Formats: sequence, C-alpha cells, structure tokens
Amino acid sequence: MLNSLRMPRRLIPGFFHHKKVVPFVFLAPFLTVFLIFKVYPVILAIIMSFQNFQGVKSQDWVGLSNYENVFELVRFSQALTNTTVYTIGTLLVLIPLPLVLAVLLDSGRVVASTVFRVLIFLPALTSLVVAGTVFRLILAKDGFLNLFLEGTLGLDRLRWLEVSELALPSLILIATWRWTGMNILYFNSGLVNIPQELYESAAIDGASPWKMFLSITLPMLRPTTFFVVVLSIIGGYQVFVEPFILYAGGAGPGDGGLTLALLIYRTAFTSFNFGTAAAMGVILALIIFVFSLIQFRFFGVLGRED
Amino acid sequence: MFAIFVCLAIIFIFPLYWMVISSLRPEGRIFVDAMEIIPSALSLDTYRRLFEEEPYLTWFINSITQTGGYALMGVFLCTTGGYALAKFRFRYRNLLFILILVSQMIPFHLLIVSLFLMIIQMGMAETYQGAIVPLAASPIGIFFMRQYMLAIDDEMLNAARVDGASEYQIFWHIVLPNARPAIATLLILFCIDYWNNLLWPLIVFRNPENFPLAVGIKRLIDQYRQQYDLTMAGSTLATVPVIILFFFLRRQIMEGLATTGTGVK
Repeated sequence: MLNSLRMPRRLIPGFFHHKKVVPFVFLAPFLTVFLIFKVYPVILAIIMSFQNFQGVKSQDWVGLSNYENVFELVRFSQALTNTTVYTIGTLLVLIPLPLVLAVLLDSGRVVASTVFRVLIFLPALTSLVVAGTVFRLILAKDGFLNLFLEGTLGLDRLRWLEVSELALPSLILIATWRWTGMNILYFNSGLVNIPQELYESAAIDGASPWKMFLSITLPMLRPTTFFVVVLSIIGGYQVFVEPFILYAGGAGPGDGGLTLALLIYRTAFTSFNFGTAAAMGVILALIIFVFSLIQFRFFGVLGRED
Repeated sequence: MFAIFVCLAIIFIFPLYWMVISSLRPEGRIFVDAMEIIPSALSLDTYRRLFEEEPYLTWFINSITQTGGYALMGVFLCTTGGYALAKFRFRYRNLLFILILVSQMIPFHLLIVSLFLMIIQMGMAETYQGAIVPLAASPIGIFFMRQYMLAIDDEMLNAARVDGASEYQIFWHIVLPNARPAIATLLILFCIDYWNNLLWPLIVFRNPENFPLAVGIKRLIDQYRQQYDLTMAGSTLATVPVIILFFFLRRQIMEGLATTGTGVK
C-alpha cells in the first residue's frame, strides 16, 4: 500500500508540513468561504436592519425605526399570521399521515412496500418551482381539480387561486404532496430502531395490533416525531417558492398567500427597501432560532448524532 | 390495504403524470382536453417551440455548468474541512464546530439583502461565481463529512505517518479513497440541491442568457400570456434528469436525505 506514498515530499514547502499548520491548511478553503459568505453577511444584515438605504449606496443610521415600521405594517402581521397558520396546517397533516403510512408500510402487511415508499417519495425530488407550476395548472379555474370535483363528485368548482381563504389550503396541499414521502422516511428510520422483542412479548400477552401501536410504537417514536415536528416548523416558517410561483411573484388574492419569506423578498427586490427587509429577516431568524434551540436542547447537536 | 396504497401512490404520482401529459397535448388543448386523463392526441410540438422560441437549451446548459461547479466546490470544501474537524485537534476547534452548527439555523432570507449588496460590490452579480460561491460552504455538508471521517481508523493514518508519508499524501491516498461513499452521496445531494434551487440564482441573474432552469421556468410561467404548455414541457425536462439519477442511486439519495435533515442547504 505504501509504495504509492513514496512521492517527493518537498514539492510542498516545509512550513505546510508543520504539525500546527496542517489542520488549518485543510480547514482554510471551507473557513474562508464560510466567514466571508455566511458569517459576515449575517453581521452585515443585522447592521443593515438599523440603516436606511437610498438605492444600494448611501445609508444612514436610523436606530430602531426599521423595526418600528415592520411592526406597524399591516402586511407584516398578515404575513406572520399566514405563515403561522400554514405551519400549523402542515403539522396537522404532515405528522399523523406519514406516521400512520410509515407504520403500515413497516408492518409487513403491505405487498411491495418499497415500491410504494419510492412512489410516494418521488415528489420530494422535484424542484419547488416545478411543484408550484404543476399545482398552478391543476388548481386553475378550468384545471383538473375543479373538473374532477365537478364532473366526478358533482361538487361546485372552487376558485383555488383567486379566493383569499383558499390560498393557505392550496399551499398546505402542495406541502402534503411534496413532503409526505420525506417524512415517511424519517419515521421509518425511527421505526427500525424499535426493538422487535417489545412486539414479540406484547404478542405473547395477547395484545392487539392497535394496542401495540398505542403502547409501543407511538411512545417509542416520540423522539422521531419531535424531530420531524421541529424540522417542519423551521421549514414552514421559511416557505417561499410555492406561493411565489403560485401567485406569479405576488401574494395571492387579498394577500392570502403572503408569507414572511415572500414579504422579505418583495420588500427587498420589489420595493427596494433593504433596511426594512433586513429587519424582517432578523425577526424571521429569531423565530427560527427559538425553535432550533428547542431542538438543540432535546436532541444534542443535529438530532441524529450518536 | 393494498388497494389503499395503490390509490395513494396514484394520487402522489398524478401531478407528475399530469405535468408530462399536459406538455404533450397539442397546442391550445391544455384546458380544453383536461378531462381526457388519457389523452387521445399527443404532440411533441410544445417541445419544439420550447427550444425554438425560448432559450431553454441555454438554461439547461447553464444549469448543468452551475450545478457541476457548485457540487464540486461544495464537496471540496466539505471534504477537506470535515477531515480537519474530525481528525485534528487544534485551538478553537469546538468553538468553530458550534459556530458552523449554529449557522445552519440561519434562514437564507436574512442574508438575501446583505449578500446581494456584497456580490454587487465584489463585481460578482450576473456571474457563475456569484451564484455558486456564496452557497458553497454548506454547514450540513461539512457536518455530514465530519461524521463520516470520524469513523476512519486512526491507526491506519498513524501507520502511514510512521512510514514517512506527509499529511497531504495521507489525505490523498488514504482518506479520500476511504471517504468515497460519503463523497459520492454529498455530490449527488449537492447536485439535486442546486438544480432545484430558485431563490439565490433569481437574485444573482437578471439576464435570461445566464438563467439556470429553475429561474427560466419561473420566467416561462409569468410571461404576459401564461404559457402553461411551454411551462409544463420545461418542468418535465427539468425533472427527468433528477428522476433518472434517483433510479440509479436510490439508496444513496434516500439514506443521504434521511441523515442530512431537510436536504443539504
């Protein structure tokens, strides 16, 4: 094996072989990009949230007035409410549904369970842009969903994309389509870790499958469930592409599809109000920070470290 | 039970099927024929128009170039950095590690204004570097590599050191070959990640000649006349490569995604 190692070592100057230097040589590429494009922009964004911009150049300090503006903005409270309702909505669907499906797929009672797992997972591979365009077509006034409701079920057509109240349900529908397979995957890795003996001894005691689900599966899945809940909250609060595509870069009828991330983008690149956009960014970051801390507190560093 | 899952699978696959079918309908028939779940008339005309009337081929090539550049750069940074974090002790290592993990929580929307100003000042607007470099230091990517590198046997590395191999020879000849599965997984995840990304390229590029696919498709659907046919054809062609990749590397992609959380971003 070591034959291949006999290379002239002095191609690289001696300094770089010094014991204290070596780790930093390996670290340098990542660290440079990380500090310039991740750490510095965070600091800059916080600074910008206290400044007022005329175009991209001249800026002056305005103290907390950006934040005051944000909280006085009707659209901001609407965006915050929408995003919160959306997040809760996705939790109500995207926890129980994938959990039950994962348990059923894992139970050995479904033939070809891998095929179903893969088919339900496929939407997670499509880009959110594609998810948005496809659902914009399906939810259109003369789109498939309405024709199906009308023609097959005899119901009235709904103006999915034109009524404020239907904006969040439409977004939750897209989320369900895109993330169910992914969450099944998470629950599945939780299920694999439940010791089989628990079920065996319960079976000897004559427990019904339903009883076993309630008294073994659910409690043993609690860490996984918690992990998925926190991930969904963090993801939910950052929802952007789906409404951005569904409403052609706007916010939907009556701002019904206006989310926090969408409002930040529009404040920055439609109104060119960088200071206010930065302040909104800081507020969004704080919301996410709180939920991430909960995750850290209960799960160690990243949830999956062992 | 089996029947329930068949129904579910049909529901989940249906939007993808609908995308393909809608892209194949003759011009102007997308809504008129919407009740024909199995279409009676098919046509490739939309695809011809997509390439003739729109710069779709340019977008596709841009996507391949940018995705390749991003994935290679990201994997290079995360592999070298992950190795340093896993196998060396140095000052501030733990502090740095925590900083990297905390940075994972930062929503990208906090950074869009500051990064936008930065790339303008650095003259990187409208360039591939501007689209790629700011995203390349992925916290979850370096975390993933570090976790994998931790499992590499220290005695093997030390034996090579005793034999007089330099640290860089060890990295090239021992660490890299051993980390190959992790590198492959990360490469695939980074590719899917950039291929599907909209927000940052949307901010960096104004000139349609530089768009990657996601931004191009966004442009197609928002033109003055909603061109659903072109959009569906464009969406189909953008999705096909990912699906093909998935069928060859299913295990790696599913396991990779399950361990990196919400994807690598």
